[in-house]
Amino acid sequence: MAAPAHPPAITTPVADAHDASPDLEPIYVWDLVVRLTHWTIVLSMLVLAFTGIDIARPFLDAPSGTGHFQTGWVRIIHYYAAIAFSLAVGSRILWMFLGPRRSGWRQFLPVSRRRQRELIGTFKFYVMLRPRPPHTVGHNPLAGLTYIAVFGLYLLMILTGFALYSVSAYGSYMKMWSFLLPIFGGAQGARWIHHVVMWLLLGFAVHHFFSALLMARVEKNGGMDSIFSGYKFVPKGSERDDDR
Amino acid sequence: MRGDEFSFRDELAARGISRREFMSYCAGVAALLGLPASAAGEVAAAMETKLKPAVVWLEFQDCAGNTESFLRASKPSAAEVILDLLSVDYHETIMAAAGHQAEQALASSLEAHKGQYVVVVEGSIPTGADGAYCTIGGRSALQIAKEACKDAAAVIAVGTCAAFGGLPAASPNPTTALSVSDAVPGIKTLINLPACPVNAENLTAVLAYFLTYGRWPATDHYSRPLFAYGKTIHDNCERRAHFDGGQYVEHFGDEGHRLGFCLYKVGCKGPVTSQNCPNIRWNEGTNWPIGCGHPCIGCAEPNFWDRMTPFYEHLTGVPGFGAAADIDRIGLYATAAVGTAFTAHALVQLGRKAYDKRKAKVSVATATAAPAKTTSPARAKPAEADKPEADKPAPAAEKGREP
Ligand code: HEM
Ligand code: SF4
Ligand code: SF4
Repeated sequence: MAAPAHPPAITTPVADAHDASPDLEPIYVWDLVVRLTHWTIVLSMLVLAFTGIDIARPFLDAPSGTGHFQTGWVRIIHYYAAIAFSLAVGSRILWMFLGPRRSGWRQFLPVSRRRQRELIGTFKFYVMLRPRPPHTVGHNPLAGLTYIAVFGLYLLMILTGFALYSVSAYGSYMKMWSFLLPIFGGAQGARWIHHVVMWLLLGFAVHHFFSALLMARVEKNGGMDSIFSGYKFVPKGSERDDDR
Repeated sequence: MRGDEFSFRDELAARGISRREFMSYCAGVAALLGLPASAAGEVAAAMETKLKPAVVWLEFQDCAGNTESFLRASKPSAAEVILDLLSVDYHETIMAAAGHQAEQALASSLEAHKGQYVVVVEGSIPTGADGAYCTIGGRSALQIAKEACKDAAAVIAVGTCAAFGGLPAASPNPTTALSVSDAVPGIKTLINLPACPVNAENLTAVLAYFLTYGRWPATDHYSRPLFAYGKTIHDNCERRAHFDGGQYVEHFGDEGHRLGFCLYKVGCKGPVTSQNCPNIRWNEGTNWPIGCGHPCIGCAEPNFWDRMTPFYEHLTGVPGFGAAADIDRIGLYATAAVGTAFTAHALVQLGRKAYDKRKAKVSVATATAAPAKTTSPARAKPAEADKPEADKPAPAAEKGREP
């Protein structure tokens, strides 16, 4: 993330790195908060899924003898990663309302006519009814809609996780989350949701990775690097106000 | 309330409970309730001198397992005798009266001790078909429960069926069975004692607490007394060190099983089940399931039958994929399928591109060579949805494919 923090700073090295034509100009789409929360979510979710699967069906080598704290550590790592995950998700959601335009909630909900049109176009591209997706700078609108669902699943993960944690949070403020338990049908109900939603999220993660790769290739806009650098490449003079 | 017309101590003695046994029972209750040792005397004094509340025991859709639990055969324990001495005015399974006489006993007890009697409910309450699935003396369980609970000092729902619906309420719940709290909303003091069956020690401890202090013990979000349900099985389990250490029973009868390792991998629901079984155990503290090598099946939790089965699996399956379907396998396959779909998409795109390129080459051969990267005119029209890539001339074929 060596990118400059402000939009107008167009540096040639960045442009060169993308092998872009002189007709393309970099445009700052993902601000620092967006990128930081994105990568915190990715990393913590990988840790959470790995430790979570080991919690559900311990596969890490069971040591013999005494003095081990195998599953104990796995759970503790899960809880620390959960702190990072919850804070990142919470910050990103707040940023949807506080941050700059391109990080805002309008990027996710297709409220404008234009985004609704692009939504259909993108869908047609995905099912191969058209060879190219519509041109967008920020999120493509279909992805935006998917992210709404994904953030819903994140919240479900956090709430079921908190509910599970509250079961044994004796004497801690985390005990307050036990009011969630009846909503999820008891601790085992919360655990079931927590487990199944993990797979939904992992399925999404694979989808997300590949479609980012695909879109970046097709659009040739540096989309894949943009989540590191913050910049995408668009044709000079093109309309930037694409989220209205 | 009943007058203390008999000497409680003599009564105990007549039933074979010595003073020493009685005191140790009281100390046990005090410990179970989390009270200091000095409270044992208070409990004993209350037992001996205080007026006992009249108790009516209602049985609805149940297996009488909770009744069995406190009537445990062989030698009655102090707890059972004390429960017996609590002037249980109505209890279908154990009362001598029958028919109209029995119903009369219930009616007069409710009348005589209005606002002061305690109702113990065992079993769930069916609400389907106007309550026809369970009627006593021509009245539905729902009617009886509503009437009895209306003027009760407290209602104690014993067993998972009364507390959460239990087995009768398991999917597809043919009788529309409800827990007491759902069937009779608005009960002032409701105490849930889920478990299959209830542990008699917990029931007598609740009553002893009430006798001693004149109020009911503190409860949680499920109206369960904290002294008995404040901790999970897992957090008090004698095998917990093996859980934390990653030492598990893989199969019943294997080396780990013989060594007393943790039963988590053979479906133990201890981590999601709250009750004090590890402390008070069963059958006068003789042993408990995990103590003898069987996983906890989560009998004291809501949705017990729907959520905790299969008992020897970690989780219930996904609906529509069979009861014990392996969620992890489905998840892995689904994740792989998404990846495959995208790989296929990419391959199709690549194939298409190759096809277009070859076609373009044929047409380009006749036209003048197009400048590659630098000045593709199509790039200047960004709003156009299907702009071709900058690194090759716009082939006519691609335009044609636009829907
Ligand atoms: C995307 C994020 C997450 C993933 C993929 C994930 C995954 C998992 C999985 C697979 C399990 C095992 C469930 C089972 O026993 O079948 C688990 C358990 C658990 N998770 Fe998460 N989790 C995530 C986020 C969280 C969060 C935010 C919390 C909040 C505190 C949390 C707290 C817990 C707790 C308390 C348990 C139970 C641990 C135990 O029973 O020992 N998780 N998680
Ligand atoms: S046997 Fe069950 S309750 Fe005991 S430590 Fe293992 S999982 Fe927990
Ligand atoms: S150990 Fe589990 S299944 Fe057994 S009685 Fe206790 S709560 Fe019920």
